[in-house]
Amino acid sequence: MTATISFRARQACTIARVELRRAFFSKRSFWVYLLALFPAVVFIGHGIEAKIDRQRWSAKGFTPAALLDGIKQGETSEAVRGRLGTPVSDEKWDHRRRVLREGSGKDSEPRVWEEKREQRRRLTYFDGRRRADLWFENGVLRSKSIRPLLNLEEDRQVFAGLFQYFYLRLAIFFGCLGIFMNLFRGDMLDKTLHFWFLAPIRREVLLLGKYAAGLVAAVVIFTGGALLCFAAMLWPHDPGEVQVYWQASGLSHAFWYAAAAALGCVGYGSVFLAAGLLLRNPIVPAATLLLWEAINGFLPATLQKVSVLYYLQSLCPIPAPMDNSAPAFIRMLLSPAEPASHFWSVAGLLALTALVLVVAARASRRIEISYSTE
Amino acid sequence: MTTAEVIFDDISKFYGEVLGVNRVSLRIPPGITSLVGPNGSGKTTLMNLLTGLILPDRGSISVLGVSPRDPETMMRFTGYATQYDAAPRWATGFEFITTGLLLFGCSRAEAEEKAWKALEWVSMTEAAHRKVAAYSKGMRQRVRLAQAIAHNPQVLVLDEPLNGLDPLVRAETIALFRAWAAEGRHVILSSHVLQEVDVISDQVILIANGMIVAEGEIRGVREEIHDHPSQFVIRCRDASRIAALLFNEDHVTEIKLNDDRQGMLVLTKDREQFARALSRIALAGHEIDGVVPADENVDALYEYLIGGGR
Ligand SMILES: Nc1ncnc2c1ncn2[C@@H]1O[C@H](COP(=O)(O)OP(=O)(O)OP(=O)(O)O)[C@@H](O)[C@H]1O
Ligand SMILES: [Mg+2]
Repeated sequence: MTATISFRARQACTIARVELRRAFFSKRSFWVYLLALFPAVVFIGHGIEAKIDRQRWSAKGFTPAALLDGIKQGETSEAVRGRLGTPVSDEKWDHRRRVLREGSGKDSEPRVWEEKREQRRRLTYFDGRRRADLWFENGVLRSKSIRPLLNLEEDRQVFAGLFQYFYLRLAIFFGCLGIFMNLFRGDMLDKTLHFWFLAPIRREVLLLGKYAAGLVAAVVIFTGGALLCFAAMLWPHDPGEVQVYWQASGLSHAFWYAAAAALGCVGYGSVFLAAGLLLRNPIVPAATLLLWEAINGFLPATLQKVSVLYYLQSLCPIPAPMDNSAPAFIRMLLSPAEPASHFWSVAGLLALTALVLVVAARASRRIEISYSTE
Repeated sequence: MTTAEVIFDDISKFYGEVLGVNRVSLRIPPGITSLVGPNGSGKTTLMNLLTGLILPDRGSISVLGVSPRDPETMMRFTGYATQYDAAPRWATGFEFITTGLLLFGCSRAEAEEKAWKALEWVSMTEAAHRKVAAYSKGMRQRVRLAQAIAHNPQVLVLDEPLNGLDPLVRAETIALFRAWAAEGRHVILSSHVLQEVDVISDQVILIANGMIVAEGEIRGVREEIHDHPSQFVIRCRDASRIAALLFNEDHVTEIKLNDDRQGMLVLTKDREQFARALSRIALAGHEIDGVVPADENVDALYEYLIGGGR
C-alpha cells in the first residue's frame, strides 16, 4: 500500500517536472509575468522619482525646519523669500478668469464679460525630510502643505490598496487563469495530451502532478512579485525608519502578504484547473468567477465563505484603504465581508481547494481525447 | 481470472450526433490483427476506445481482463502509437521516450537503456538526440512507434503504422510486428488498404461506417468478399414471369417478390451474367421499367478494399 503511494508520488513528481517547464516558459502565458511585476514597477518608479527629487533639492541646500513651520497665511512671496532664501523650485503662472464686469447685467444693462488675471506662484522648500509647497495668489500666501517627501505610512496604505484591488483581484486571478487553464487545455491544443493518458498513471495522479507544477510556477511568480513590490515600496525610505517598521510589524506584514499571494495561487489555481477540465471556453468561467467574487460581499455569510477572495482578504495585514467619496455602490462592491481569523482563513481556503480538486479529479476521469473539436 | 483476449462487448460510441462505431462486438486473440476500412470508418475510434482515450457510450471493453478505465494497470502492458502527428516540442526523441519510461517506475539508467533499445528497433538512433519538432513525418512516426514499444507491451496498438514509411523501413517494421506476434503478443494495427496488410495479418477485421463488416482469418474474409452476392431491385409489370425466368439462371441465388407484384429483389453472384440475362429477357418482349443496384455502398466498399484503394 505504501509502496503504491510512494510510487504514485514519484509519478506525480515526474509529471510536475515536465510540466514545470511549460508553466514557466509557455508563450501563451507570458503576460502573467507582466501582471506579477506591474506593482513592483509602479513602486520602483515612485521611489526613483523621490530619490531624484531629494538629490536635486539637497544640492540646493536645506531650509531649517523651524523656518518652514513659521510660515503664516497672508505673508507675501517676497517676505517668505526674504526670510527662507531661494526655494528649491519656483513656478509662476497667470491664472485667467472671465468675470462679469461690475454693474453690468443689472437693470437691463447688457452683460459685459471681462478677463481677470491673477498671478499665481508656487514656492517649494525642502528641509532635508519634508517638502513645503506654498501657493501664492497675487503675491499673497493662500495655502501651504508641509509633508514628508516620502511617507512610509502613506506608501503602506497604497501598497495595501494595490495588493487587494489589483494584485489579489486581478493579477493573481488572471495569472492563475493563464497558468492553470493551460495545464490541460494547452496539451489539448498541442495535441499531446494523449501521451499522458497512455502512460500507466491514474488520472488523479496526472491531475495532481499538473497542479503541483502550476502551483510552483504561480507561487514563485506571484509571491515573488508581491515580495519584490514590498521591497520596492520600502526601498526609498529612510533605513532607520524602515528598520523600526520592520521590527515592529513589517516582517509579519511581508509574511502575510506573501502568504495571501501564495494561498491565492492555491485557491484560484484549483478553481481554474477544474474549470479547464469541465469547460471548453476559458472566458465563461473567468467572467462567472470574477462576478461571483465581486458580488460576494452582498451574499449571506455562508455563501461568502465559498469564495477565494473572502479568505485572502482576511489574511491581508492592513485593511485596504477605502475612499469615502467613492460612490456607495462601488464601496459596497469592494467592502470585505467580516474577516475570518488567520487560522480559519488558511483552513477554509485549503478545505475549499481540496473540495475543488476532488471535483476536478472526478472530472478528469471523464475527459476524452478529442483534438478535432478544440 | 484473466483472459488472453481483447474483448469488445456491444460497444457504441457517438460524437454528439456523429456515429463513431455502432454495436461492435469482437474477440481479438494474440497475433497480428488488422483493422481495415476506408477513411472515417471508425478504426481510430475503436483503437481509442481500446486504450481508454475515449469512453464508450455503451458496452464494455476488456484488455486481457482489464478495463481501459484503469489506465494504471492496463497501460503497463499496452502500448499505443496513435495517428496524431504531434510530439512535445521541448523534447529530443530520446528524452521523449525516457520521460515516458520514468512513469513506469524505471530508474533513469534503466529508462535510458530501454529508450535506446526501442530507438534501435526502429533504426532511429542517429536522430535520437535531435528535437522531435525537427523530425520529418516518417521519423516522427517511427519515434511514436518506439515510444509505444519501449516498455515491452503485451498488447501493441498501432494506428496506420505503415503510412508514410519508405519501403526499406516498412519491411523492417513489418518484420518487427511478426517477431512480436510470434512471441504471443497482440499486435493490432489499422490500415485503409487491405493489400497492405493481408499477407502479414493472422486475422483481419473489415469495418465500414462504424460497423464490422467481416472478421476472421484473411482467407475466409477474402472468399466472403468474392462470394458476396450483389442485390438489385427490378421494377416491372409481370413480376412473377420474369422471376421465373431469372430463377433458371444459376448465378441468381435468391429472389424476393414485392407484395404488389410490380417488382422484386434479386441476389446474384455475378453482375455481368445478370446483366446479360436481363437484356435477353427484355429482348424476348418482357417489359422492365427499371433496374437499380440495392447495395451500392457495400459493393463499392468491397471493390475499394479488394482493389487496393489509393
Ligand atoms: N473527435 C471527433 N468529433 C466528432 N466526430 C469524430 C471525432 N472523431 C471521429 N469522428 C467521426 O467518427 C467517424 C469515425 O472516425 P475515425 O477517426 O474513427 O475513422 P478512421 O477509420 O480512423 O478514419 P481514417 O482512415 O481517416 O483515420 C468519422 O465519421 C469521424 O468524422
Ligand atoms: Mg484513423
